[in-house]
Amino acid sequence: MPLFVAGLNHRNAPVALREQLAVEEDKLRELLLDLQAGDVLREVVVLSTCNRVEVYGLAEAPGEARAAAFRHLCRHRGVELAVVEPLLYTHLEAEAVRHAFRVAASLDSMMLGEPQILGQVKEAFALAQACQTIGPHLHPLFSHAFNVAKRVRTETEIARHAVSVSFAAVELAKKIFAGLAGRAVLLLGAGKMSELAARHLVEQGAFPIYVANRTWARAQDLARALAGTAVPWDELATALAAVDIVVTSTGAPEPVVTRDMVTRVMHGRRGRSLFFIDIAVPRDVEPGVDALDDVYRYDIDDLKQVVDANLRERAREAQRAEALVEREVGKFLARQGDVEIIPTIVSLRGRLEEIRVGEVKRTLARLPEASPETRAAIEALSSAIVNKILHAPITKLRESSRAGGGRSWGDLVHELFGLGRRA
Amino acid sequence: MYPSLISVAVVAYICAMGLALAYLVQRQDLVHRLAVLATLAGWAAQTVSLIVRAVEGAAPPLGNLPDAIWVGVWVIVLLQLLLEHRTGVRVLGAFVLPIVVLLSLKATTTGRPGMLAPALASAWIWIHIALAVIGIAAFVFNFVGGIMYLLQERQLKTKRPGAFYYRLPALATLDRLTFRTLALGFPFLTVGLMLGALWARTAWGSAFTFDPLAFFSLVAWVIYAGTLAGRAAGGWHGRRAAYFAIAGFAALVLTLGAGLFLPGRHGS
Repeated sequence: MPLFVAGLNHRNAPVALREQLAVEEDKLRELLLDLQAGDVLREVVVLSTCNRVEVYGLAEAPGEARAAAFRHLCRHRGVELAVVEPLLYTHLEAEAVRHAFRVAASLDSMMLGEPQILGQVKEAFALAQACQTIGPHLHPLFSHAFNVAKRVRTETEIARHAVSVSFAAVELAKKIFAGLAGRAVLLLGAGKMSELAARHLVEQGAFPIYVANRTWARAQDLARALAGTAVPWDELATALAAVDIVVTSTGAPEPVVTRDMVTRVMHGRRGRSLFFIDIAVPRDVEPGVDALDDVYRYDIDDLKQVVDANLRERAREAQRAEALVEREVGKFLARQGDVEIIPTIVSLRGRLEEIRVGEVKRTLARLPEASPETRAAIEALSSAIVNKILHAPITKLRESSRAGGGRSWGDLVHELFGLGRRA
Repeated sequence: MYPSLISVAVVAYICAMGLALAYLVQRQDLVHRLAVLATLAGWAAQTVSLIVRAVEGAAPPLGNLPDAIWVGVWVIVLLQLLLEHRTGVRVLGAFVLPIVVLLSLKATTTGRPGMLAPALASAWIWIHIALAVIGIAAFVFNFVGGIMYLLQERQLKTKRPGAFYYRLPALATLDRLTFRTLALGFPFLTVGLMLGALWARTAWGSAFTFDPLAFFSLVAWVIYAGTLAGRAAGGWHGRRAAYFAIAGFAALVLTLGAGLFLPGRHGS
């Protein structure tokens, strides 16, 4: 009975349709139970997120099962099946396994390496488990997929580098200062963006936090919110001398921090680096400070450029992840093949053993005065013959089942040796 | 057994270098582990080869310049393993092992001019050589730290993150590495040079007659002394310290080159 996955995702279906099809948990439970009761599907898991709606299942006729599932879903959500039908993709067997692994590892996500999808797949799995629509085929598939996802996260850097401007700024700070623990931060201007960046820095251990703003009251408010200290606007130069990281986001039309100012400040710092994160437009820090030693200045465009580079880095890592997924698909299929063929091997062995034991017994009954050595030799001889005969067929069965042809060979062996009907 | 152990060590170092460079490109844990394993294997083989040599010669295996370089390789690899473990800078091998391989090949393929003349053999001369070797090994890391600092600083200043931005550690980490290796190497080099000068006065009656190796090592010492003073007094660090680390190492390379290729007290 083939494994399949059918569905639509962010690549081919418009967001409006995906929204319409997204199902909440109780409805999903109902859907699972109905589908299983419908007799078309043996096992089923439904994954429904804002980026994809997918049905994973085991069915004699996947096409029928897919139609049944989506007819049900569409009726439920008031969508015409005819609208959905042309957008659906279906993957069978190995393709379905690969798809499941790639989805869980976030290789099929809109944002490569995003962490939510694994949780969503786990929820879908847990729900199907609760509804008992999972059996001996989908269970190993999903457990293996969780494993693959975990390995992709730890063995590649697909989820490592920041994809938002504020996190990219934090990563840059780490590349300059190593740890951020005990690094002092000055916020110039009290914008939302700078507050967000400051919070990220605080999470990494940055301390203390100073806030300077033209409006004293706002500086005090933000300082309170961040457990920092408000600094009067005209003491800017003093504050600059004391901190390691400066986040600027004022609405000033002219640069607030000039090259001359920074040159003077750097004199007294004995080479301690100073990092400007300038997220104001127009910019707050004169670009000329770039020429100063130990001063690093990133404006919003620079940060976006870093994010772009990070995305490219993720894409490169995704290639390594794909190779890992490919290897795991192979392993999973091999193990599945073994699972399928093992009962045949066991009954074949059992059948021959039964014959051997019977024949040995009859022979020994006719040789009452045989010495214990002779008896042992007869036992050994018969066992050796059975094992030698079995060796080639068992190897062949294992190989062919790993190559995907286990079923027909298994049937043949059952037929030939009269092993009875296969399960 | 002895020459084959040396070949094993050299081959292992070459493999380790290849793996370390592959790790720099690919960043696969397995590759890194193999690189460490190859390094360890080479170091173990080399340790045995050095012991055998010392026992056979009934003297420290430092009797001529190629031998001293070979011991230097041993110290560098030991430091590499320790520093990588301590600092967690896993790409260190990719920078250090090429130097290790170059030095190994030079040390093991250069004809050995024989052991130290018996007239020179004394405990002090051995200590002179050993201290100089340890000092130079530490400066290899000072140099490598400086190179990595400049690469990473360039990445951060140009604001175009490339391969090195992702692979190299933070500037602060690299600056600490160059400083610590300078602080480690300098006392060894200083005492080593002093002993050499003292010995020269006893043996030849003058502390510093012109010898190419001695001359360049003194140049290197001046550069390192200057950097250390600048660090301590002037807050030198970062790029300036990195430039000086490179200049000092260049002087050390000239020192070795002089010893290997020019006639003088150390070479012949």
